[in-house]
Amino acid sequence: MNWVVSGLGAVSAVGGDPDEMFAGLCAGRSGLRELHGIDRTPYRGRYAYQIHDHPDGRDVPGRATAFVADVIEQAATRAGLGTDLRDVPVLVGSGLRELRSAELHWRDKGSLGALSADDLHFGTALRDRFGATDTHTVANACAASVYALALAADMLATDQADSVIVAGVDVLNESMSGVMERVHPVAPDRLQPFDRNRAGVMMGEGAAAVVLSRDAAEPLCRVRAVEVGCDAHHDTAPHPDGFAEAMRAAHRSAGVTPADVDLVMLHGTGTLLNDEVEATATQAVFGADAGAPLMTAIKSMTGHTGGASGVMSLVSAVQSMTHGMVPPVVGLTEPVAEAAGFRIVTGAAARGPVAVAQVNALGFGGMNTVAVLEASTR
Amino acid sequence: MRSHAYPGVVVTGTGVTLPGADRPEAVLAGRQDHAEPVDTARLLGRGGRYRGLRYKDRATQLAYCAADAALRDAGLLSDAGLTVPADTVGVVVSSNTGNLDTVVRVVDTLRTGTTDALSPMDLPKVSCNVVASSVAIKHGLRGPNLMICNGSTSGLDAVRWAATMLETGRLTRALVLGVEPDTEPARTLLDGAAPLDGAVALVVENEAAATARGARVRARVGGHARGAGLAACVAELSAMAAADPVAWHVPRGTVPEGVLPGVPRHDLTTAWGPCSGALGVLQCVAAVGAFATGATGAVYATAGDDERDATAGLVLTPSSGR
Repeated sequence: MNWVVSGLGAVSAVGGDPDEMFAGLCAGRSGLRELHGIDRTPYRGRYAYQIHDHPDGRDVPGRATAFVADVIEQAATRAGLGTDLRDVPVLVGSGLRELRSAELHWRDKGSLGALSADDLHFGTALRDRFGATDTHTVANACAASVYALALAADMLATDQADSVIVAGVDVLNESMSGVMERVHPVAPDRLQPFDRNRAGVMMGEGAAAVVLSRDAAEPLCRVRAVEVGCDAHHDTAPHPDGFAEAMRAAHRSAGVTPADVDLVMLHGTGTLLNDEVEATATQAVFGADAGAPLMTAIKSMTGHTGGASGVMSLVSAVQSMTHGMVPPVVGLTEPVAEAAGFRIVTGAAARGPVAVAQVNALGFGGMNTVAVLEASTR
Repeated sequence: MRSHAYPGVVVTGTGVTLPGADRPEAVLAGRQDHAEPVDTARLLGRGGRYRGLRYKDRATQLAYCAADAALRDAGLLSDAGLTVPADTVGVVVSSNTGNLDTVVRVVDTLRTGTTDALSPMDLPKVSCNVVASSVAIKHGLRGPNLMICNGSTSGLDAVRWAATMLETGRLTRALVLGVEPDTEPARTLLDGAAPLDGAVALVVENEAAATARGARVRARVGGHARGAGLAACVAELSAMAAADPVAWHVPRGTVPEGVLPGVPRHDLTTAWGPCSGALGVLQCVAAVGAFATGATGAVYATAGDDERDATAGLVLTPSSGR
């Protein structure tokens, strides 16, 4: 596989575009704030990594759609595609789609009101705004946007398009936030990936997009592999063997060895299980080279952006290739034993060339996804 | 309008779990007046009690039934388990309203209670991919696992993605499922109409892999088209199919008179009620039923809302024709 990334878009609690976000990440600026736009009464937790655009502090329907349209426009404009996307397929990975809109309709009116079954995906809004008609909402939990990236790569491979926009988005909703809090013994007050004292995952809001093309005049990086798998092991718990298998397949397909990898964008959700499993699998695959690549986990500042998180990490990795900087993991002081030998960036951002980067994303139901990127100059 | 023809993508099995219908040949007739809702516990219990259903939502239970039927029909599952390596079977599921019942139940609980009043067993179900991952876990299917929630074109899109991944080699075979449950929030989304409350499934497979294991080919997936305009979509499908169309599955709503004159039209949303994300898969299953009873030409399947979103189309042909 040898496709190019030719445009980026991002919005998160850390910044409203890829440059602002990357500068914030490198400065260690966390997007953690008091919970907003949601009735706090039912929750023990008081904080989240949200985008603070709520009118009068109230949540409104359609925020996920607005965010994803924004990042699609950012990426398309930067790639020179413009905003008429009638001939450009758009694939959106989202764990929760527009379920927040359904929740608001249900809560406020006791019914879903004017909402229809065709209002839970993003296609109608993308038709309206960009004229796009080959649009797809892929709902593969927190691995959704890397799954969408795999489908985009397959569209290029089968000659269905020359450029495809791949986006991811998720916003806070009550059902996921509520049940997620229920399964945590104590409500975490920050997301601390790979730290011994981590208390669990915290939700973030955000969207990210890339343009994946056959070729481009000024490519930002090359995509050498996108592996998507399912280990069919458990409803919610990840499995080290399944994830290790996805990593090995991605390396094989990209033609790289662990020693070639300069940067690993860890999924790093801060849950007890994810971080342990991800570290164990990484150690198993990287072996003696586990201490070689720089590693980071941007969820320590963006929160868990759900289905957006894979492409969010990808955008950050492309920026690392461009600027030779890798953002730190904020709040990591005592690494778990499984990650003890890793070169996880802490404190200040690390400087150094990044030629090969690996992006991890895992999702409920045994979704294991790994992408391998290569600098366009390599 | 964009289109793509698929080389060597065949259908080797179907599963039908609908009120009063359990085979592809019965799909066209629609829901009969006396048809009872699908009893998933009975179907999955096979006389005994199937444990593990208690915490599964209606959509997942329906999908389990159709998945079992399709895998067995395709010869991929026997009483001893899978007959092929687990990593060669992927899953692609289409549903729009699948997990809405859990979502609104949680919202209702939080109206008056705290998160302590919620059930941890709901965690997988508040994630939209619960059906796709649950089916994979039940049978240990370790191929790529995709959940498509893409509005009224979703079912045809699911078949298209399976075909695309078969062409690139990402998949060898996949179970493609369309499912929509009859739940209270689903009814409100559909203006009070009773949803399908069923699941349908296809096994789509790389032709060489199907031949190698001696599978019976029920149909071929010729190609897809997607974009604005039902007439343009049908024109693309016609350009891809060598055989003349013998049936056209039309989308819900008004269909222009002048398109495909003389070709019999079928509206499965009239036959079964709103099918949402299951419609496209249901249309493909109906096509397999038509081929099984002797149809010799192409069947066109189309779904979508041209005013607001797009039209998606697939062309299917019998196993012997192209």
